[in-house]
Amino acid sequence: MLQVEGVSAGYGKFNILSHISIKVDDGTTVIMVGSNGAGKSTLLKAISGVVPPASGTIHFNGQRIDGCPPHRIVELGIALVPEGGRIFSELTVYENLKMGSYPSSARREFAGSLQQVFQLFPLLKDRKKQMAGSLSGGERQMLAIARALMTKPQLIMLDEPSSGLAPKIVAKVFEFVATIKAQGYSILMVEQNVLKAVGLAEYAYLLETGTLVYEGEKQEFLKNPKIRASYLGL
Amino acid sequence: MSNLILNGLANGILYGGGLALLAVGMNLIFGVLNVIHLAYGQCVMVALYAVYVFAVLLHLPLLVSCVIAVGISALLALLIHVAVVNPLLKAPLINQLLALAGVMIVLENIILAVFGSDYLGIQISFPVFAIGDVYIKISSLIPFGVGIATLALLWLFLNRTYTGLAIRAIVQDRDMAELMGVQTGRVYWVTFAIGGILAGVVAACFAPIYTVHPHFGAGFTLTAFVIVVLGGLGNLLGGSIAAFLIGVISQVTGVVFTSEIGEILVYAIFIIFILFRPQGLLGARVRT
Repeated sequence: MLQVEGVSAGYGKFNILSHISIKVDDGTTVIMVGSNGAGKSTLLKAISGVVPPASGTIHFNGQRIDGCPPHRIVELGIALVPEGGRIFSELTVYENLKMGSYPSSARREFAGSLQQVFQLFPLLKDRKKQMAGSLSGGERQMLAIARALMTKPQLIMLDEPSSGLAPKIVAKVFEFVATIKAQGYSILMVEQNVLKAVGLAEYAYLLETGTLVYEGEKQEFLKNPKIRASYLGL
Repeated sequence: MSNLILNGLANGILYGGGLALLAVGMNLIFGVLNVIHLAYGQCVMVALYAVYVFAVLLHLPLLVSCVIAVGISALLALLIHVAVVNPLLKAPLINQLLALAGVMIVLENIILAVFGSDYLGIQISFPVFAIGDVYIKISSLIPFGVGIATLALLWLFLNRTYTGLAIRAIVQDRDMAELMGVQTGRVYWVTFAIGGILAGVVAACFAPIYTVHPHFGAGFTLTAFVIVVLGGLGNLLGGSIAAFLIGVISQVTGVVFTSEIGEILVYAIFIIFILFRPQGLLGARVRT
């Protein structure tokens, strides 16, 4: 469903990514691991149109999307949950969700999406009139994921959903991801917490200083000595 | 004495409603586009001339003239957005300010060339009525009433429509709003048009009361800017509170001392306040 081919991207003249090719198949969860500054977030930004790629192509459902503006890409069915969630803290929980249904295609289905989201995350229903800024760290991630669902996506991209959260909350956040995975969404997740993330994934990529150094199915990935040494501490 | 203060208070609240209306357009534009609309007062001034042209020169009914003036003001705002603000959105702040200062000079001189420098106005004298010992001028009740009604409509628009929601989302996090499917460019021109409509409504309220002169715009801009800064840049609620504070302080000190001393006190208080709380009353966010 998503094909990234030979993409280089960055800010100004500096290319943070060079010649990256990845793919996400329909209904699968793919994770991308790598240390800080490896370019994981930049790749997600390139796919979502925030940082247009300098070269290479990105196809989504057969349609070429590199160079499209962010609003167009979300309309096509790719939602990004950025690092930290970036919820609108001075809007209520309900307004945040409504904001998620901004694309015209999603707007028509607002009521249905809202019901679905409240069913998956009942806590949000109880808090819907609360200011989003008053939520705890884990609840913010929940809202950010729910807001992404409201855009009626086919592919959800999560940028380090566990970053900056206490270990107990991290487990919760991976439960949220498992919840949406169970709904059949395709997921592309960037994570440093390799062991937990790989548990959810079918396929994994390892990114180092802007280039792909390893990729493989979940089992092979966990057996790779380099990954065991650097990311699993084994 | 207490009677005087009560009168000052009542008139200050009424005056504050007009001030809140004056400042809200500039505030909204800053919140959404991060642009200080330096020529905002000049837009109000042009709209005042528009009311004059239609009501006095063309003998149209006042209300009709006001509606036309609001329309002209919205068109002028769109013109300024397309020609000046939009091309400079990513330019340094100083370039934006200089360009808008240019707009200011252009507007003033066009009006000066067409209408000359005489004070023009629709002379309507409004009665004064009394509630107990408090005297209320109808002429200050109009901007107050229209101001409150307009702010209420604006509130509904921002809270009940998708475009309004997008505006509030952009104020908080522009990139995230785009990732939610908001076309920021479109919201920008909508915001500028709303700013123009608000400037036009201000003019419609002031037209029956005040005379107009090509150089009046600067005063409007300054007053609006002071209110916006005092309330917290881009914070509409803060701006409205600031408008009422300034209204009350200027009117109460005005009746206790003189209106000149009142003006001095307002700005002195403003400067001292900003020294200690530079982000304004409700401004907390620091933009990066």
